Amino acid sequence: MNPDFLLGIASVAGVSMIIAAVRAIFVRDLLSAIILVGFVSLTASVLFFLMDAPDVAITEASIGAGISTVIFLWGRSKVREE
Amino acid sequence: MRTFIAFLLALYLVFFAAAAFESFGEPQGLGRIAEHYAAEGFEEVGAINLVTAVVVTYRGLDTLGEVSVLFTAASAVILLLSVFPLGKPANKPSSIVLLTMKVLPGPILLFGGYIIAHGHLTPGGGFPGGAVVASAALLVLLGCTQEVGFAKWLTFAESMAGFSFAMLGFWGLLKLGQFLNNSVLFLGIPGQLLSAGIIPLISAAIGVKVASELSGILVAYRCGGGKE
Repeated sequence: MNPDFLLGIASVAGVSMIIAAVRAIFVRDLLSAIILVGFVSLTASVLFFLMDAPDVAITEASIGAGISTVIFLWGRSKVREE
Repeated sequence: MRTFIAFLLALYLVFFAAAAFESFGEPQGLGRIAEHYAAEGFEEVGAINLVTAVVVTYRGLDTLGEVSVLFTAASAVILLLSVFPLGKPANKPSSIVLLTMKVLPGPILLFGGYIIAHGHLTPGGGFPGGAVVASAALLVLLGCTQEVGFAKWLTFAESMAGFSFAMLGFWGLLKLGQFLNNSVLFLGIPGQLLSAGIIPLISAAIGVKVASELSGILVAYRCGGGKE
């Protein structure tokens, strides 16, 4: 693919990753913070894929964006009950 | 305002790192060991995907340790959750979740199995494939409100996989004098599914182990600790 195009995708993913990570620290709502952290993992997996590491991208997408987000969500539902 | 300042700080750090590692990504010489992997690896292990070949054979002992670390973490989580149970989920899953958990886990399992089985041919291997299989188990657990049937098999599958990984290593030690020597099985024709020595077997063992450990953690969170 066109290297400029790839660089564009990487820049968008990287900048949105920084924005999401910073927002996740300061946002008041726990649910928004969890979803932002999952989004950080998703952009990380895009970046891994662009850096020719598809196996790491698969692992990051399924563990980082999938499993750990859901574990945080389950934990959050327990926090709200108590 | 605080967010904006933090964002600027993070962006500054990124550009600082980019300036410091200006040559990052440019082709440069391999180290001596990496040179050996790149030049001789294909001949020695017969795997097309050299990343998995390095992870599973050359650095197989590290992978064994890595899997043990994951095992310790999973045991600690399950132990903690059996002492302080979170209890069962109260709310019933919505119809969207119920439909998804009926349709999607099959294809996801198939994809995970494909990644594990073709670890020596295409990018992937035991760890990514096991993680994908565990996310299929996650989808099933999202809709579960009581005990799931496969939960009692997880410990068994996990210990069998760990045992066979170690035994495959000792096979090489007994036969050829090297732990995890890849040449104990026929190397076959590179590119075929049944080739590259014991790499597919070790990939399968790692895949089963990672999948059962991650699903074990999820089961412990969702359904475990039962008694309230």
